[in-house]
Amino acid sequence: MQISVNTYWTILLLIHLLLAVALLGSLTHQAVSVAMPVRKAAGPGGFVTRFRAVPAAGYATAVCILWVLTFIMGSYIYTKYRIYIRIPIEQAGHWKTQGFFDFKEHVVSIGLVLLPAYWYFWKNAHNPEYDTARKMTTIVLAVTCWFAFLVGHVLNNTRGFGS
Amino acid sequence: MSTATTTRATPATSSLASSTKFRTFAITFAVVGSLTYLVCLFFNWPLFTFHPATNRIILGWEAARSGEGPNMTWYGWTAMALLVGSVVGFLATLLPESMTRKIPLSLVWLVPILAVPYLAWDLRQWWFHP
Repeated sequence: MQISVNTYWTILLLIHLLLAVALLGSLTHQAVSVAMPVRKAAGPGGFVTRFRAVPAAGYATAVCILWVLTFIMGSYIYTKYRIYIRIPIEQAGHWKTQGFFDFKEHVVSIGLVLLPAYWYFWKNAHNPEYDTARKMTTIVLAVTCWFAFLVGHVLNNTRGFGS
Repeated sequence: MSTATTTRATPATSSLASSTKFRTFAITFAVVGSLTYLVCLFFNWPLFTFHPATNRIILGWEAARSGEGPNMTWYGWTAMALLVGSVVGFLATLLPESMTRKIPLSLVWLVPILAVPYLAWDLRQWWFHP
């Protein structure tokens, strides 16, 4: 079965999106659990309590793998984006949209180099020495992921593959 | 429902997670990698330049050629950050632990936060484009 070029890139973009959704969910659970930890026994918790009462340390390896996979997929799509999406976006004068995309590419690269330290902090979550670093690194990665996700979404709305 | 603290985990069991050398590498890699990326961005020092229309890869920076589409330097900046971060991170593991313990952990998350205003400034051409 043959698929068109647009279908091929759209499928890859959807895989990139699905990986990002999984990453976003994991990181959000983890970030909320460290920012607002549930510390005492309580009665039946509400949605927010249950949302933050996850075994957060167990997400660390999955987050690293998902970040790398999402990054690799995004990097591959970027080759096509640079020619078929970015040039028309610039021709249409969507300067700020383009600026936010460049912002996204910078922060996800910086996020990439944080992963080994982030993983180490979580694998040593029993050690209070790493509490602040673990909390702040997780929040930085979660905010980065949300930013990248929303920028990618807006960009796809501005001009997606095949449009 | 019992909702005890969930961010605490049992002590690390994998050798990597309990290795002080990996700790040194990971922290150095994060700090040096982030800073390298920002420096490469400022001076436009990619490890290589990719030309997506022709699939050409050139070591270092190369301007877009006429009739050959745009050039891409982001891959080169990222590769440079990974390379320099890895090399310096490895070299840091050769230092005595008494020295590497002095690297502030806060730099891991502080450098990316402080990078945000710089990145916003670096991208000013897009915000203020007429």
